[in-house]
Amino acid sequence: MDGKTQCYINGIGIIAPQKTFENDQFLTEISTFNQNVLTCITPDFKAYINPVQLRRLGRMLRIGMTAATICLRDAKVQVPDGIITATGYGFLEETEKFLTELLERQETQLTPTYFMQSTYNALAGLVALSIKCTGYNNTYVSKGFAFENALQDAMMQLAEKNSSNLLVGAYDEAANVQYAINMREHHYKSDHIKNSSLFESKTGGTIQGEGSAFFNVSGISSDSTWCVLKDLQLVYTPETEDELSSALTSFLNTNAISVDEIDVWINGASGDVKNDRLLTSLENSIFKKTPQVRFKHLCGEFCTAISFGVWLGASILKKQFIPEIVKFSSMKSSGKLDIIFIVNQYLDRNYSFLVLKKL
Amino acid sequence: MSQRVFITGFGIITSIGKNAEENFQSLVHRRCGFGELNILHTIHQKTLLCCEIKLHDQQLRDATGIKAGKGFTRTALLGLIALQEAIYSAGLSRSEIHDSGLLSATTTGGIREFEKFFYRLLDLQQQGDFVQFADTANPGEHCERMADHVGIKKYIATLSTACSSSANAIMQGAQLIKNKKLDRVICGGTEALSKFTVNGFNSLMIIDPEHCRPFDSSRKGLNLGEGAAYLVLESEAVVNQKGKKPIAELKGYGNANDAFHQTASSPEGIGAFNAMKLALSRAEISPTAVDYINAHGTATENNDLSEGIGIQKLFDENVPYFSSTKPFTGHTLAAAGSIEAVYCLMALQHQVIWPNLNFANQMSELSISPVTALKHVALKNVLSNSFGFGGNTSSLLMGSV
Repeated sequence: MDGKTQCYINGIGIIAPQKTFENDQFLTEISTFNQNVLTCITPDFKAYINPVQLRRLGRMLRIGMTAATICLRDAKVQVPDGIITATGYGFLEETEKFLTELLERQETQLTPTYFMQSTYNALAGLVALSIKCTGYNNTYVSKGFAFENALQDAMMQLAEKNSSNLLVGAYDEAANVQYAINMREHHYKSDHIKNSSLFESKTGGTIQGEGSAFFNVSGISSDSTWCVLKDLQLVYTPETEDELSSALTSFLNTNAISVDEIDVWINGASGDVKNDRLLTSLENSIFKKTPQVRFKHLCGEFCTAISFGVWLGASILKKQFIPEIVKFSSMKSSGKLDIIFIVNQYLDRNYSFLVLKKL
Repeated sequence: MSQRVFITGFGIITSIGKNAEENFQSLVHRRCGFGELNILHTIHQKTLLCCEIKLHDQQLRDATGIKAGKGFTRTALLGLIALQEAIYSAGLSRSEIHDSGLLSATTTGGIREFEKFFYRLLDLQQQGDFVQFADTANPGEHCERMADHVGIKKYIATLSTACSSSANAIMQGAQLIKNKKLDRVICGGTEALSKFTVNGFNSLMIIDPEHCRPFDSSRKGLNLGEGAAYLVLESEAVVNQKGKKPIAELKGYGNANDAFHQTASSPEGIGAFNAMKLALSRAEISPTAVDYINAHGTATENNDLSEGIGIQKLFDENVPYFSSTKPFTGHTLAAAGSIEAVYCLMALQHQVIWPNLNFANQMSELSISPVTALKHVALKNVLSNSFGFGGNTSSLLMGSV
């Protein structure tokens, strides 16, 4: 940001493997999974999508469209100035359906719907079409950076015109294809665990998650503002702890924040003992005394899982409350919750920092 | 925010040439890449003709210095060829490359390899050479591979907005420079033909088995193509400091959504009109200052009508020269925006307008028609359009310096 414009989060809609779709509740009911795949707890889609449209949409398009609708209602915005989405693998279920047909029917008599709904920008296009949003429209598909790219894009637009508001959303589904491929690559655990004990397993690999989270951001606050997204930064393939911690220190300096001022840091550890190595070293160095929360035991790991972390941080700041289930250290006795710092990693390659501030 | 954005290098590979010079010569001599498929294996090889690059993956690996077995998909290899040429043409040092951003666009990533090894990859009991392609269903995979190979570290993004993808990559690159997030960013897109794409577009019934005819009243659809192109964007400050002579300035850009239909454009050309208008207003120039439009012009009934109406609405009585270069290269989907941006840069460099091949019959709905022969004219400002599924429309305005 240019220092003048603030990026306010004025609305959120999130569907995740926890019951998160009602914004007046904050992790009051916890779902546990006795398998290494976490899937969404969904609302009744009919309350958000008209029945004609609903029948035509695949599962993830329903989830994404509903999250976007909840977000716009929360922000009291009918038509935003633009829509930006982010995903790691897109609509892999639809891709698989089209591909399977193609291979089984030897390239004849294929269903165009699967092809159309497999495109990565299908959700951004669908939302734009549904609410007649003719403004800016973009989609990022950059593995563990996709959602950060989308937020960066939105923040630059607000820096140009602070009165605009953008709908920024992430989506990724726990697709079978992705599970198989990631098992092959040893990115998921081979031992079966309960999601609640993700961080006790101390083994390689993580658990598969999914979800869709939409945020309405604007340069102007409103009576529905959750918090301020102050800044973010990507760090690509840091090789050593020093490389990551010096990037972190200079990011804090740029934003004139000292570590002592951080009330909570959100650790995007994935439960993969190998890939979490740099986050573990931050935990034992820079953030040694900083209260810590985690979230991937609740939503699982996926390319855009950080969107769940941003929702968690925004909720903590708005509600001034930290649910027990996310605490991973003792909290500050003062109870002050003003600044939250998120550090995420995806496959030990895509690292990012985000700062959230109380309004 | 007043930072200007300059283009200081580019690289390109298409069915009409494996580098900038070959592409230029083919454009000048009306050589097209349209023909039967020989490299991609599909039942449509002789029936759905495409603009295919007649180089096998091994030849692409040889050209880039990539060893076999390293998991580089055809998408990544094509991208790397264009990226390496772009870096070379801009004369970037190792440390400049390190501190660059890479913004790459794709519609399907490495699906060509993924579809080939699909059943084997999903059967965890099977092992073999194919496991190098395990993550090819991920669209961001090619971008990280390319970045790692050339040593780009500062900022990474992969974009996918169907057929407007690489125009959006270029736009976002400019935004990152204007907002002082980066001094230098390499933007573009890469696209390899695959059974997935050929059959996908075929299922939508918008492929013309004959050579495509943009803006012609008899047009029946598009021809698919493959290729890649990347542009090096640098900030005004960096260009001045190094005393570099830029190729052109990226003066304006616009992105809008048609919000009409999932896979079709509005008959009124709303998205096309808005994207071009935004590009002009950001460049602070009037429609009369535009000398040439490289149209999206896919030759589908729907696109050319919508785009043509949008152009007429914006430019009124003063429609500039326009043409579609799709008959040369086919529709290269995610790479089309950056490939055509390169053709616009060549147009500016050589003060020439590329012909719209295969145009014979005037569309009754339009009062304008494209340039059909190579034309030498004074060019200052050129516009490049890219539209896609999902209602995505983007337009770039490049000007001589």
